[in-house]
Amino acid sequence: MGEKKRIIVCRCEDVTLEDVEKAIEEGYTDLESLKRKLRIGMGPCQGRICLDLLARYLSRKLGKPIEELHIPKPRPPLIPLKAGLLEEGDHE
Amino acid sequence: MNRVIIVGGGISGISTAYFLTEKGFNNVVVVEEKYLASGSTGGCASGIRASFTSREHVILMRESIELWGKLSQKLGFFYERGGYLWLISSEESLKYFKELSRFHNSLGVPTRLIDVEEVEKIIPIKVNGLIGALHDPIAGKANPFKSVEKMAEKASSRGATIHTWTRASKIVTKGSKVIGVETDKGFIEGDKVLIAAGSETRKLLLDLGINIPLKNVPHHALITETFKPTLKPLVIDWDNPSKPYLVQVEEGGFLMGMELEEEPDTPLTPRIDFLPRMIKSWSSWFPWLRNINVLRYWVRYYVISPDHHPILGPVEDYEGLYVAAGFSGHGFMMGPITGKLLAEWILDGKPSVPEAENLTFKRIVEGRLIEEKAVIG
Repeated sequence: MGEKKRIIVCRCEDVTLEDVEKAIEEGYTDLESLKRKLRIGMGPCQGRICLDLLARYLSRKLGKPIEELHIPKPRPPLIPLKAGLLEEGDHE
Repeated sequence: MNRVIIVGGGISGISTAYFLTEKGFNNVVVVEEKYLASGSTGGCASGIRASFTSREHVILMRESIELWGKLSQKLGFFYERGGYLWLISSEESLKYFKELSRFHNSLGVPTRLIDVEEVEKIIPIKVNGLIGALHDPIAGKANPFKSVEKMAEKASSRGATIHTWTRASKIVTKGSKVIGVETDKGFIEGDKVLIAAGSETRKLLLDLGINIPLKNVPHHALITETFKPTLKPLVIDWDNPSKPYLVQVEEGGFLMGMELEEEPDTPLTPRIDFLPRMIKSWSSWFPWLRNINVLRYWVRYYVISPDHHPILGPVEDYEGLYVAAGFSGHGFMMGPITGKLLAEWILDGKPSVPEAENLTFKRIVEGRLIEEKAVIG
């Protein structure tokens, strides 16, 4: 388990492989639930780095295809955008 | 079979499972279509207040606030009484809030009007046009996912069974009695069924021939990247007709939402005009927001009842049928007291807070509606 503590799965929210394995053992066995339990994919990368890693790991671990793991929906604006830039989009 | 089935794994259903098992009744099964708190609970603003305009709301929310304090301590999740600030920029609203504050005070909720100087001491705001604010010091915020997760874990450890990714398709009845719930993973037998299914509630009841007048209205919200704690209270711009709110959540992101013109039962679809309009509504009050990155934007339903109060308790058309829905944007904050009252209704036949009896489905059938004016975001 010591090794797994040093493997980072989600850089934005600082989630390790050890955290992931513990959550899976507690019964969080789909990506949507793991996202809310561990905040994986809720930081600035919005899951672009970590969710893919997590999906492949979980798929191997459970022996299930990725499509059955409930992949979270990507949400707008997809990449972090400065609020001030968005404000300029209002031409009403 | 002496079993309670709860349809819906949002805060209302999970809190009911928590309080049923706390009272020693453990034969509880929760069915949730997706993951826990995946509906209106998970998309909410996370605010908790008792500063409402009806006696029923004030009293129930006050009880709920007490329970939020106890539950967060006991189960270990984020809950903070950072207050609410209702920004006021018109004389008319000032007068309205003066009266409202007297009403709150008479029911033990210590709101008070504060001047612009005091507002500036509480939040980093540019006060252009502001003439004061209503401060609700006992209001606050909690973490929607964590609170539901911790209550669910506790309920499970006491014997409740929680099935996520299980869709309840039909409440099954025999004569005038409820006998179970049909799901996409099979039939579950039970003599008591609570429907706490948010936006799906209306459909489940319609199948039983019960017309519960709930409207699912999309509400939009966004969250920014995280910062150290800068904004303690949840802030509402009362004199903006869209009633925008802004709150800094546990992890440090700024969460904001506002009302857009939406027809009931519109699918949950992001709108291109939301992001600019949302930022614009707050950037003149908080110019520093312009330099912050927006991370994500989502849409969830407010399940609106005809009088903006939830429909709680037994549905008398069938023996063993209960409902907790139609919170009209206030289901998260009311969650703890909802669960406690429903557990009492189910096990003892009567809720411990008499005001709750004014909120049964019967009031809708008999046309005894209650008014609530302070609905936001």
